[in-house]
Amino acid sequence: MGLKVQNVSKTFGEKIAVDNISFEMDKPGVFGLLGTNGAGKSTTIRMILGIIKKDKGNITWNGKEVERKYVNFGYLPEERGIYPKIKIYDQLMYLAKLKGMKKKEAEESMNFWLKRLEVEEYKNMTAEKLSKGNQQKIQFITSVIHNPELLVIDEPFSGLDPINTELLKSAILELVQKGTYIIMSSHQMASIEEFCTDILILNKGKTVLQGNLKDIKDTYKANKLELITKVNVEKQINELGLTILRQLDKHYEVQINDENQAQALLKKLVVENIEVEKMEIKKPSLNDIFIEKVGEK
Amino acid sequence: MKSLFTVIGFTIKDMVKRKSFIISNLIIFLIIIVGFNVPNWISGESFKTEKLTILDNENIFEGKLDNLNEELSNLGYEIEVDKTSTIEEIQNKIKNEEIPSALMLTQNENGLSYEYLVDGMGLTTTVPTDVISAIQLTYQNIQLAKLGIPEENLPKINSEANNIKVTSLSSEEQGSNIFIMMLLSIVLFYAIYFYAYQVSTAITIEKTSRIIETLVTSTSPRIIVLGKTIGIGIVGIMQTLLTILVAVICAKAFLAPEMVSSIFEMMKLSPEVIVVIAIYYLLGYSLYALLYALTGSTVSKPEEVQSANGPVAILAVIGFYLSYFTMMNPSSNLNEIAALVPISSPFCMPFRVMMGLSSMNELVMSIMILIITIILVAKISIKIYSSAILNYGEKISIKKLLKQ
Repeated sequence: MGLKVQNVSKTFGEKIAVDNISFEMDKPGVFGLLGTNGAGKSTTIRMILGIIKKDKGNITWNGKEVERKYVNFGYLPEERGIYPKIKIYDQLMYLAKLKGMKKKEAEESMNFWLKRLEVEEYKNMTAEKLSKGNQQKIQFITSVIHNPELLVIDEPFSGLDPINTELLKSAILELVQKGTYIIMSSHQMASIEEFCTDILILNKGKTVLQGNLKDIKDTYKANKLELITKVNVEKQINELGLTILRQLDKHYEVQINDENQAQALLKKLVVENIEVEKMEIKKPSLNDIFIEKVGEK
Repeated sequence: MKSLFTVIGFTIKDMVKRKSFIISNLIIFLIIIVGFNVPNWISGESFKTEKLTILDNENIFEGKLDNLNEELSNLGYEIEVDKTSTIEEIQNKIKNEEIPSALMLTQNENGLSYEYLVDGMGLTTTVPTDVISAIQLTYQNIQLAKLGIPEENLPKINSEANNIKVTSLSSEEQGSNIFIMMLLSIVLFYAIYFYAYQVSTAITIEKTSRIIETLVTSTSPRIIVLGKTIGIGIVGIMQTLLTILVAVICAKAFLAPEMVSSIFEMMKLSPEVIVVIAIYYLLGYSLYALLYALTGSTVSKPEEVQSANGPVAILAVIGFYLSYFTMMNPSSNLNEIAALVPISSPFCMPFRVMMGLSSMNELVMSIMILIITIILVAKISIKIYSSAILNYGEKISIKKLLKQ
């Protein structure tokens, strides 16, 4: 059950936009769809939403082939778009009705979300009078007003201040708890790591990495050491033949091959009676994995 | 179907709420109100009521001028017949500005002579020839009566050649006023073109504001294109009918009843012609609106709208001029062709029907060609719209869009 994408491909003329990708969401949660610009994320999303036709493969929802008229999906596109000169109420009502809602239930859902995202005071204002962040919250409402089973959100936090980012994050978590399937596409790896259980990384239309995020990270060995000391220890690090990746005053990020190298450095600092404020052995972040996989640094 | 009505309803609401729509309507209504008052202002200027004293101190008319004021009420004079004053007294009254002017009547062996007395001759001063003609007629009648001619024969003697009937011997029943028909064709062109262009603008707004990405996940491109086209078409019909209604109300309110009835007589259209105009208005609008939907969907930035719409505008102008210039020679073959070609038939065929130049077969053929063209254009437009609406990068050729 849930969403199943099997061997899906799409070409535009000579260009292969998506090449034989497959993934599955069998329970509610957040799935991370990653890739550089032009990697094929938008095409994949549009095929899942039934906006464009795939050339090959199958996309099913609860065992049935996805067709726009039969599915109840929500979509928050990367490019924000609302009618600038139309009242918020009117455009939310319009989009809710297009999704098949009746006026009364649309109004109830609209009022709930306007209150939940703290924008109810803008209900009777035109969109052009709202700040960019508030416009983004309104557009998020357009994607969830009809209580979709599957929600696709593309860069949901871009342009939001930290307070509104937290507000939206909590709303997304609530949706997951209520049983919504969410596909999140983002370049903010921290957000993906925070929300996603499974990920798929696309590069030039091909899948370069996919699976459970924790499992993926477990396959990577620790390769970095974060170190904060009271005095400059550049000499001691260099003496052990280690490479400093980043340095900010007495705050270092050091490349290591294994944990033994980290312990050797710690031992040396202790012997030399150097006070260590913080020392943490780190595994590669999703950002590191992403850069490694798409081959761009 | 429900989605289609939702799109239509939203489009209508959006259009009629726009400031530009409200302001343009108010301007149109203002122009109509001002336009219908112009004849009043002109007539008010040239026929403003002016006092005119007629001096008949020789009592030539024996009181028969007393009714002149009522008979000549529409000439703009308030006539007072003075039977007692002397010339000097009248001259003094004019100099003292008690009266503006006077017409002095004297009789001699040659008949009646007139002297028009006025304080000064300005550029706008005119001799009241209409009043003089009426007095002269009364004088003739008095003289004829004195010769023993019965009063009932007087109208026949005085009759003028004013009942002229024009009969056309042509076998084709041509309309009486080609100018009105050409004017209607021009109005039809502008109405079709103006509202069809709005479809392009509406689609471009949705695309450039990126709302389209949300819309196409909610309903199909076909519903969006058709909903927009129908919605704007309904607004067009509503606005046209409202304009006609305001014009009719203003005509009745501000114009003299005789003028209103003569205008209505001039504009009188048979029910068949009205139906033909309505059909071609709807079909012509549909054709150009769908073409504009196509071009509107290929635009990525608002500033590209005009250049993208250029080819459709050229088609419309060619269609209009093909129709307009052949109207000068409506029985020509080119006019017959213009009535069948889809880009010109909406402007040309109603004219031919009004002129009584088109047979039923020609009319049916023209409508069929237009409907088939609209269906084809709709299919192509929706196909291109579906492909182009989500493309924001470099321009893709129509050929490539059709292949996608």
